[in-house]
Amino acid sequence: MPPSIHPVDLIASLRQKHLTPAIVFLTSRRACDEAMQSFDHADIVLPPVRQDAIAAALERVITQYPSVAEHPLIPTVQRIGVAAHHAGHLPSWKIAIEELMRQGCLDAVFATTTLAAGVDFPARTVIITQSSIRKSRDFTDLTIGEVQQIAGRAGRRGKDQVGFAVITPSPYIDLGVLTKGFTGHPESIDSQFSISYPMVLNLLKAHPHEQIQAILAKSFAQFQLNQRAELLERKLDGLHVQMEPFGPRVCTDWISQWQTFDQVRRQRPQRHQIRKHESPELSARFHFMTPGRVVGLARGRGIVLRQYRSKGQKNPMISVLRLDGAVTECPASNVGDIFDRIFECDETPAFPWCSAAAFDELSYQLTELPTRLPTLPIMVPKDSEVLPDAIVQSLGDFPCPSCPSRPACQKDFATALRLRQEQHRHTKSIQALRASLWHRFQERVEVLQKFGYLSPSAHLTDEGEWARLIRIDHSLLITEMIRAEAFTGADPSLLTGVMASITHDDDRPGSFPRISPGLSSLLGQVRKLAESLSPYEEPPLLRADVAALAERWIADPTLTWIGLCRLTTMAEGDIYRLLARTLEFLSQIHTLRATHPGLADTASRAITLIRRGVLEELP
Amino acid sequence: MTIDELEQLLVQQPVAVLHRLARGRVHRHFRAGKRRLIEMILQHSSQNLAGLESDVQALIAERQSQPQPPQPPARPAGRTAVAPPRRTAPRGGEPETAEAAVSLTTWLEGIGVPAPQPFVPDPWQNEALAALDETDVVVSVPTGSGKTYVAVEAAKRAIAHNQTVIYTSPLKALSNTKYTEFSKIFGPDKVGILTGDRQENGQAPLLIMTTEILRNLLYDAASGEIDIRLDTLGLVILDESQYIADPERGVVWEETIIFCPSQAKLLLLSASIGNPQDIADWLTSIRPTTCRLVRHSKRTVPLRAGYLHPNGKLVPLFKTAAIPSGHAGHLHPEAKRLFFEYEEETLPSGRPRR
Repeated sequence: MPPSIHPVDLIASLRQKHLTPAIVFLTSRRACDEAMQSFDHADIVLPPVRQDAIAAALERVITQYPSVAEHPLIPTVQRIGVAAHHAGHLPSWKIAIEELMRQGCLDAVFATTTLAAGVDFPARTVIITQSSIRKSRDFTDLTIGEVQQIAGRAGRRGKDQVGFAVITPSPYIDLGVLTKGFTGHPESIDSQFSISYPMVLNLLKAHPHEQIQAILAKSFAQFQLNQRAELLERKLDGLHVQMEPFGPRVCTDWISQWQTFDQVRRQRPQRHQIRKHESPELSARFHFMTPGRVVGLARGRGIVLRQYRSKGQKNPMISVLRLDGAVTECPASNVGDIFDRIFECDETPAFPWCSAAAFDELSYQLTELPTRLPTLPIMVPKDSEVLPDAIVQSLGDFPCPSCPSRPACQKDFATALRLRQEQHRHTKSIQALRASLWHRFQERVEVLQKFGYLSPSAHLTDEGEWARLIRIDHSLLITEMIRAEAFTGADPSLLTGVMASITHDDDRPGSFPRISPGLSSLLGQVRKLAESLSPYEEPPLLRADVAALAERWIADPTLTWIGLCRLTTMAEGDIYRLLARTLEFLSQIHTLRATHPGLADTASRAITLIRRGVLEELP
Repeated sequence: MTIDELEQLLVQQPVAVLHRLARGRVHRHFRAGKRRLIEMILQHSSQNLAGLESDVQALIAERQSQPQPPQPPARPAGRTAVAPPRRTAPRGGEPETAEAAVSLTTWLEGIGVPAPQPFVPDPWQNEALAALDETDVVVSVPTGSGKTYVAVEAAKRAIAHNQTVIYTSPLKALSNTKYTEFSKIFGPDKVGILTGDRQENGQAPLLIMTTEILRNLLYDAASGEIDIRLDTLGLVILDESQYIADPERGVVWEETIIFCPSQAKLLLLSASIGNPQDIADWLTSIRPTTCRLVRHSKRTVPLRAGYLHPNGKLVPLFKTAAIPSGHAGHLHPEAKRLFFEYEEETLPSGRPRR
């Protein structure tokens, strides 16, 4: 089985089920063109009556747009009644196809899913062959809104009782995306508000700086940010209620008080919890059983090698080196005497708890000890409740340990702290949401002040007055180029070439005419400038090959449209769009005639030169 | 055909046909003998006897159309052989069995051109037009519901009151189409167009432009240097206003709405979106009057979804003829099976079965 249905079969089975006219959405322009090619030798021709109808309808369009007449697809369109309609075609061709479709002459149109929004003609059936579309670089799944937009083309009001959206699979299709798209509720839309340099200039031209915040607050972006802020505020109210039992206690801000107290408490050197059953005498004595100390046990004497607490009960323990050279563990309570004699003991972290040399030395010393040794006098503190005082001392002035609400504080602290942190976080994000647009605006203002379009008091300078008329993408680059006088003495073809490379944001490869040295060096300067501006504005692609194409069209007035298309592998529709966008940019430059008469004049000459052939004929 | 008749029919078929039927229906069918195979096929398709029956008929027809040599029937290799299988299949009565899924015939029912009826505006269209007399209106309806009718009627009313109307669309191509269309409706002297590189009839009462141009006009008017007749501006129609969510150009729609003069009514026409109420609330918050939202999700021309298998077999996509709103899982069992089969065969990792 082929991976997807053959276009000829598709049309045949649609006709057989009376599902025509149909719009077939395919993955790419190439898929559309290949589908058209596959009809070259197909025998599913239309009856002559309908062929004539198509010819007549085409005739009418051709009188208005002569460029349609030479289109290579016309024979197929007439013979089979199918056509391709995508961004690679000239607008005139697309108008012709739309017209034929409206009159009901065609059986099917192959279109790209990417341009689904631009396909503004209905049909009885829509054929969907994929579940994702190419957005900038990679493929993304169709959203529910997009699926419904595509499916919505099915069913013509007044001409159909029912519309059909038919899925026919191609590799990598995800049926789930499409069924969800058919049955689901469209997604919410979000504001995509962005603050551009011309916007800042134009706003500041019409309104004083202090009013701008109020104007920005009227945007849908701010409306949606406010919605989010309100959501957070409601959460904040909830937190407030939850915080009620944790109001002021003995100290007003007991949470911070307890937090610092807790921190200090934690920072003190880790001390072992002293058990109640441990007598004060033992704890006082244990303090002296340090490594190297000679102690008396029930049988004989020994030297303490290490002092530790047992794992489970935390009983005070020591490891002792005995007379026979054995190392024994024994509870500190078993120690009888503590003698006033200490040997050097080179401690190590593992058994036998001292270095080998020290071990030998200690064993020797143990045998050599005199029979009588003085015992260490040890004072045993009378007061067994030493601990709270010690804490008070080490913690400075904290009232917490003796505070009457201490148990309550200790219990509630974790919950209260979490609530309070959430409160702080929400308050901060609410502030950020409310002020973010204004901050973004201020950032732009600072950049414009830096470049001298705005005065320090945020008024338009002379430069700003004209720069605000350039309301297109990459406006900062264009105005900076004009200020750098990059175009002084440039002829229309150079200006057009540069503008074309600024407008063009597609990185489809292809072959293009050779670039002239003048334009090449000018583009080099533009590139340098764009790079230096890159912290403030995303630099355009600045493709030299595209610039060369536009330059050629201006520089050689005898060049025909067909001739221009032959120079490159770029699709006709793309060339048209490139020139049309360039035209728009040029007409923006033309508005600077008051301040830059020379440049505006060049732009207007370029405009008249661009408008010829196909570009003149089309709306 | 009842289940017994179908069983009889299957018994008469050679086992090769049964194996082909079992493909995608029965797991490890090549292990089973004929009797067991029939049992399993019927068991699997008990919910979808119609689909099974049509497949059997198609296979029989295919065998008859082929030359008789008893070689196992290979799948049609060339596309010419993929003629729609139903044509030659004898149409017995539709299955009487209680069937959950809709049959293709029911699905295709009603296809064709409706009898010409006098145009009667839908209730929502009237509602939108009535509301527009007093306030701004946001319309969010499915594609192809007749938003243009609202735009045209609203423009007619405003022009009758000697007001200027501005109609904007996101694409230059759409502007041009609308210019042609409106010129036919209103007369060529009543309609003008302003796009980046085309200016015709700029003094006409109905001006068509791209949204960017309107934004620029509003900026120029705000800084007081252009003579656009903003004081007579009575209505601004923003078509395809779901473009407000466009990553690159959405901001233009916001600017236009923010700076739209307050005496002019705004009419936002949009395809179905998830949160039209938000847009309406936003307009209410920044405009002098309470904005009215007109929305509905029912299509004027009902829509049905189908599944066309690469071998030319057409089946409904969902169990019901209409699209089951909110139930993406209610797939037609036959469509599900065919798509499963398709995935099995085209999965890049798997070895093709044949």
